[in-house]
Amino acid sequence: MTNMAEDLKAEAPFGAGTALPSPTGRTNRSSREKKARTTDYVIYGVLAVLVVALMVPFIWMLSSSLKENNQVLTVPIQWIPSEFVWSNYADIWTRIPMMGYLQNSLYLAVIITCLQVLTGSLAAYGFSKVRFPGRDVLFLAYIGTIAVPWQAYMVPQYIMMQNLGLTNSFNALILLQAFGAFGVFLMRQYYMTIPDELCEAARIDGLSEYGIWARVILPLSKPALASLALLTFVNTWNDYMGPFIYLTSNRLWTVQLGLRSFVGQFDAEYAMIMTGSVISVLPILVIFLIGQRYFIQGIATSGMKG
Amino acid sequence: MTTETIPQAPAPVQSRGNRKQARRNTLIGWTFILPNFIGFLAFTLIPVLAAFALSFMEWTSFSAPKWVGLANFQRMLASDSFWIALRNTVVYAVGHVPLTMALALLLAMLLNRKLKGIGFFRVAIFFPYITSLVAVAVVWNMLFSPDNGPINQLLHSIGIADAPGWTSSSDWALPAVIITSVWKDMGYYMVLYLAGLQAIPTELYEAAEVDGASAWQRFWNVTIPSLRPTTFFVVVMLTVSSFKVFDLIVVMTNGGPGRSTTVLSQLIYQEGIGEGKFGYSSAISLVLFLIVLTVTVLQFKIQQRRER
Amino acid sequence: MKRRTFAALALAVTTSLGLSACSGAAGGPAEPQGQNGKTVLTVSVWNYEGTPEFKALFDAYEAANPNVDIQPVDILADDYPQKVTTMLAGGDKTDVLTMKNVIDYSRYANNGQLQEIGDVVNSVGKDKLATLDAFDINGKYFAAPYRQDFWLLYYNKDLFKAAGVDDPKNLTWEEYAALAKKLTTEANGKKVYGTYQHIWRSVVQAISAAQNGKDQNSGDYSYFQDQYNTALDLQKSGATLDYGTAKSQKTSYRTMFETGQAAMMPMGTWYIAGVLQAKKDGKTNVNWGLAPMPQKNDDGKVNTFGSPTAFAVNKNASHSDEAKKFITWAAGEEGAKAISKIGVVPAFQSDAVKDAYFKLDGMPTDDLSKKAFTPDQTALEMPVSDKSAATDKVLNQEHDLIMVGEKSVTDGIAEMGKRVKSEVLGQ
Repeated sequence: MTNMAEDLKAEAPFGAGTALPSPTGRTNRSSREKKARTTDYVIYGVLAVLVVALMVPFIWMLSSSLKENNQVLTVPIQWIPSEFVWSNYADIWTRIPMMGYLQNSLYLAVIITCLQVLTGSLAAYGFSKVRFPGRDVLFLAYIGTIAVPWQAYMVPQYIMMQNLGLTNSFNALILLQAFGAFGVFLMRQYYMTIPDELCEAARIDGLSEYGIWARVILPLSKPALASLALLTFVNTWNDYMGPFIYLTSNRLWTVQLGLRSFVGQFDAEYAMIMTGSVISVLPILVIFLIGQRYFIQGIATSGMKG
Repeated sequence: MTTETIPQAPAPVQSRGNRKQARRNTLIGWTFILPNFIGFLAFTLIPVLAAFALSFMEWTSFSAPKWVGLANFQRMLASDSFWIALRNTVVYAVGHVPLTMALALLLAMLLNRKLKGIGFFRVAIFFPYITSLVAVAVVWNMLFSPDNGPINQLLHSIGIADAPGWTSSSDWALPAVIITSVWKDMGYYMVLYLAGLQAIPTELYEAAEVDGASAWQRFWNVTIPSLRPTTFFVVVMLTVSSFKVFDLIVVMTNGGPGRSTTVLSQLIYQEGIGEGKFGYSSAISLVLFLIVLTVTVLQFKIQQRRER
Repeated sequence: MKRRTFAALALAVTTSLGLSACSGAAGGPAEPQGQNGKTVLTVSVWNYEGTPEFKALFDAYEAANPNVDIQPVDILADDYPQKVTTMLAGGDKTDVLTMKNVIDYSRYANNGQLQEIGDVVNSVGKDKLATLDAFDINGKYFAAPYRQDFWLLYYNKDLFKAAGVDDPKNLTWEEYAALAKKLTTEANGKKVYGTYQHIWRSVVQAISAAQNGKDQNSGDYSYFQDQYNTALDLQKSGATLDYGTAKSQKTSYRTMFETGQAAMMPMGTWYIAGVLQAKKDGKTNVNWGLAPMPQKNDDGKVNTFGSPTAFAVNKNASHSDEAKKFITWAAGEEGAKAISKIGVVPAFQSDAVKDAYFKLDGMPTDDLSKKAFTPDQTALEMPVSDKSAATDKVLNQEHDLIMVGEKSVTDGIAEMGKRVKSEVLGQ
């Protein structure tokens, strides 16, 4: 039963997107299956082409990570290294304390992501399911600050953090980035799609607001939580300016700072930078593969039926 | 801003019990918001307000600020660089927002299905976002190369003799940057749409099909309306990030040729921490903030009207 | 159940990470702590691992002064001034601040962020320090240079030999351009450019200002004309890599020279240490030599430009006296010896140091290279002025437009003048 429904749903967006002949009326099951299979093939074809187009710069990155430094930025571009320098992948661990940097990045990304998801989803409930005066103005203030570029207020912020004695520590970055408006906004918008009848029903069943949040809303918003966690993790992992300004001691540096340390005053070691970039992408891939499993149709619907 | 649609039935606050209820709601609402709000207030809102205050002052970051009234704004309005950067930023946003949004939605629908290896494809779409910016800049600049780049070779082969100079031309550098940024960002927003698509009840599609709706009609009458909150989020975030675009431009063209791709946040960075004119750079960011706020409020209103 | 295990797992990972990160260093080199009784002197540096001169200086100083422990405050090279500015705004107490260029120096000094160190300069000897004038602000000195890079012409001896031409002695710009065209070859699909002119505006503008004796903050740039014509002519004839390509492909000048793709290359003396190291590591086999920069006049005088690097004492320094003592040492003969050993050109002028420099392993020792090393006059790359940062930005943008061919030389130069006058000088 659910399979049928999913097939139906799968067809709908695809037909819309690529203007295949739309299914007219009801068809019998075997022709539907056949059709679904052809659709799959077409989709695989489209995806394969897309993947190539999207991966080209990554392939260059990979190829550059296997070159001597003075072979990276050649004119014309050289796709296959004339000589494979595998030793880059061994050297980077000793050239810079890569392991320490990876640990630092991971520490920051995990803590910030957890806090952002937790506080964001809590606040989002307040902004979407509880009515109280001044709520929307406050929400607007949240969104408004997203619009201010960090470059504009980073010096006042730094002075404040310095006075609090928080600079040159992970705590500074955690406090700055864990309470951003991004998570609140994302989760609020998702909660808006969850019908209020569900909350009402739960209230009648005697659940407190906190109970509704924890037992009804949170389980329903797994896809949104997954995407918030994923995007926060990636953004923290890839952040450069924040750690650069706040983390002075080398032992606190993150991967992105470590990679930039190959950029000198007049030139840069691009082979090493690319090697490090390839390594630093791997944790993101793992997180993504875990997170994307929550993008499965039917979680929300099945919850709503119940 | 109390006009935003609230799906709950409005509860007129009249009787004593209702007032009590309202007070209780306020309390409950704040307990939800507080953990995030305290951090937000202390570490973001206060510095932002400080920066706005600085826009009426002259400050080199080394000495005490000096009140100068509207002088920073006057200087800004008289500056060519400001207007050029503003124009570039707006053009960038106008190109970047709709294209990224459309492609992200398309990709999300394409990838919102059970297929073998779908995880791999989803990751692949996300790759541009996590590829090193230097690699992105070098490869795209190579693709855009005016004489022997693949893009112009393609254009030549379909009979366009006068192919654009892309990143080495003032007129085409911005479109080139827009194309690259759309390519880079669409995977990011796809993730958001992918999450949004999960919230659409399957019953809606079933009902629509029973009514004999075509695929296009189902897309238009079910998918699009159900995704409205997600779309609102995507549009606002895209607008904000377009107006704040910085990294990609710095790496890809560094604002050039000339000033043809200089954007507001670059100006804020250069004038502020680059040259120590923090008052002036704060004035620019206040204007940037007001523009984005206006756009956001407009989107709020449009969304609200649609839902009525 | 599943959710609970996942949450527990996440919690476990988080806490264990927290512990490992808090327990220090997470594998990184821990910051050395001041050991018993030693004075800890902090010095802001960029890219400590990749800039060996700092370690050379610090090690030598610590050896000579066992009671001092120098701790580098390592900052990435890319955004060094931005980070230093932010730190200083927060009241940072780092003792010695390294001035990456004179533009930053003028900003910090004019804003009262640096201590006056006239006595340091006097004890090193004013006449001994190259380009000391650059640091003179109304008769006061707020920093002392320890390093002095200037521009010369690198060339590939093998490519010259193969083309059967003489070494580039006493070139004028016309001769240089003609030579570049002659040296440009293409064989088996591999193109060799006669010269490589990097995309920096100084390659055209600063050398032109130096050889015409002009000020780049003046708002009048007609003297750039000849230099731009030469640069564009080289590019048009294919004797150098096209500017647009070089810029968009982020072409590395080191790659161009070390892989034998360019027969000549005007570049700063900092590259000497780089090419020495690359040869030592077997990453290139380029047979290189040095020659003076090509000249405007053929009167035999060598005019070039350069840029000093200096140490200054932070206004909020914790150890001002120690800091001054260190700078006196680093800018003086001892410091000069320490950095010239690794191929870095010191600001301190002395024949002994220079001779030691040419004894470095792998250094070309021919007369032309030695001559290149003693220019008659070295102008500053950019004048010390609070206007320099803004002027630099304008000149960069217009340079871009001339070099990609969007503006004619005349129009571009006129626009530079107009913009600098209105945006920078406020005329």
